Amino acid sequence: MSAMLLNKEKWPEFIGKLTGKNLWAPKLEGEAMRFAPVAEDEVPELTDGNTRIPPKNIVFPQTETMYRFQLGDFEMKEPELKEEMILLGIRPCDARAMVIVDKLFSWDVDDPYYLKRRELVTLVGLACSEPGLNCFCTSLGGGPASTEGLDLLMVDLGDSYLLETITPKGEALVSEVSELLIEADTEKIKMKKKMVSESEGKIKRSVDHKGIPEGLPGLWEDPLWKSVSASCLGCGTCTYLCPTCHCFDIQDETEGFEARRCRMWDSCMFEEYTLHTSGHNPRPTRRERTRNRINHKYNYYVDKFDVIACVGCGRCINLCPVNIDIVEILRQVKEAL
Amino acid sequence: MDLEQLRKTAAEVVVREDVKYLIGWKQGSYGYRVAPVFVEDASGAAELLFSPLCTANLATYLTLVEKTPLPRGQEADKRKVALLVKGCDSRAVTQLIVEHGINRDQVIVVGCPCPGVVDTEKLAEKYPEQGKPAEVEWNGENFVLLCDDKETELPRDQFLAEKCRLCRHPNPVISDITVGEPVEPWTLADDNGVEEIEGKNLEERQAYWEEQFSKCIRCYSCRNVCPLCYCQDCILDRLNPTWVNRAVNFSENTAFNIARAFHLAGRCIECGECERVCPANIPLGKLNRKMAREVRDKYGFEPGVDPEAEPFQASFKPDDPEDFIL
Repeated sequence: MSAMLLNKEKWPEFIGKLTGKNLWAPKLEGEAMRFAPVAEDEVPELTDGNTRIPPKNIVFPQTETMYRFQLGDFEMKEPELKEEMILLGIRPCDARAMVIVDKLFSWDVDDPYYLKRRELVTLVGLACSEPGLNCFCTSLGGGPASTEGLDLLMVDLGDSYLLETITPKGEALVSEVSELLIEADTEKIKMKKKMVSESEGKIKRSVDHKGIPEGLPGLWEDPLWKSVSASCLGCGTCTYLCPTCHCFDIQDETEGFEARRCRMWDSCMFEEYTLHTSGHNPRPTRRERTRNRINHKYNYYVDKFDVIACVGCGRCINLCPVNIDIVEILRQVKEAL
Repeated sequence: MDLEQLRKTAAEVVVREDVKYLIGWKQGSYGYRVAPVFVEDASGAAELLFSPLCTANLATYLTLVEKTPLPRGQEADKRKVALLVKGCDSRAVTQLIVEHGINRDQVIVVGCPCPGVVDTEKLAEKYPEQGKPAEVEWNGENFVLLCDDKETELPRDQFLAEKCRLCRHPNPVISDITVGEPVEPWTLADDNGVEEIEGKNLEERQAYWEEQFSKCIRCYSCRNVCPLCYCQDCILDRLNPTWVNRAVNFSENTAFNIARAFHLAGRCIECGECERVCPANIPLGKLNRKMAREVRDKYGFEPGVDPEAEPFQASFKPDDPEDFIL
């Protein structure tokens, strides 16, 4: 790991060197920020706060064509994934989320689509100096400058960015822009440490998850599930905006004699999600569906992969139309243990 | 609004034997959030709130209840549901009655005359949300923000929600019990809320909506929050045949959004919930408001104001204008 310094005066030049390489950065669309490609002559400004739509769709697109086929033809045409990309300004929580989801997509079978995209993307992180109101990453093993999953971490030091390389991919990127960088001295490293500890201090929300993964099965019929889900609308906001939610559905779409098999995001909060062909639904109400959402993140995933499938980004809290608050649910779970 | 009176009235309603629960608003977990609450006993009524932050239209919960098969020998719970409503919310209840979506005698409507709610996004932009829940109250013409023992006056013309600028029914159009004094309807905004779009030519409109619908992530929060989107078997959920593909792209997103807008023509009561909840900030209010204007201007019909009315899409008059038919 090496630390370099990029003066902000050289920012446009730095961006200029990357724009030809399929560079994506956070962009404000209306009032909602999401990752979008950076045009040749564009210089993105990195602002405080996280994107509203998480960058998971970069490696796990909302709709992915698996293969195409034609009537009367047994040949399947698989799309070729080969374009590399750089994701600039991803927050440490979202990069950590990818590491968590990797476990699922490389578990029983290696998922070719997901893993290929993961291989092609370089994650350039941006440490958080102003965490959001509902951030609680520090409760779950992350932090404002966590490097898990990142190839390169940038830390805003006011008039310059500190660049820490983490992986060979990050090193390769740094070597391409090396003439813009200078070696960081110990003074700058100290500044980073100060910034990070201040930032950690600004995180107000927390989850005490000790005992929750083991305790959840015992709360299966607890009345708390009814009360926390009473106002749930059953929409997909919490799951679609969650960087670790990874459920999908596979469907065939036809147009004339041509068809494609594609997979698309699905949400355990939808009624359709568990509906059987017979008409029976093992999760018939929003109570069971809410219980599943919490159990999947804080119990099943821990059982299988030894990590909580929640990074504390706070999106599900920020955007729930009816103020269903996962920190509050987990507090109640903890109380009921 | 006298909260004591509201809580007292609510407590009296929920203890009634023929009432299952009362749906109201309570303080949310942080910032300017207010959460819907299901009050089942008198003590729960102490949590109730009615303030300029109570934007959510609770009428949606009347039809959102999932009916699971009853265990053998068990009787269905036929008790009534009580509901707090603002003017706009009461129109949703009325429209549901018109469409036989609910039975009038199954609902107890507790009307809260509403002087208008605040646009919480605008509020958060000017005064960022804090971890601690904040309060907002009505204060004469304006709103007042109470946070950290500080009172901040919020001018009405800056912070009034878009839907309220154009609101014609601030007082509940139906109610069994009214809490508080009726409010004087205010002068409506000069514009109709869709002028910006109407000013565009066809190509510009196409480009505008193409940009908007491309942002849609198909979370269906607009559909689920809508008090009048309550089909048991929604066309969008159908798989055999699949009317609208699950793929997320401009074409399918447009099919979804247009289908919803058409199904709401003459039924949308302009509570603005779809626009409020959209995580992608698609201006759905503009779309539905335009449809509502068309129906009102062409057919003189306004949904959700008369419980005896015939449903718009199921009625025909010989002199209905038909100038749009080629």
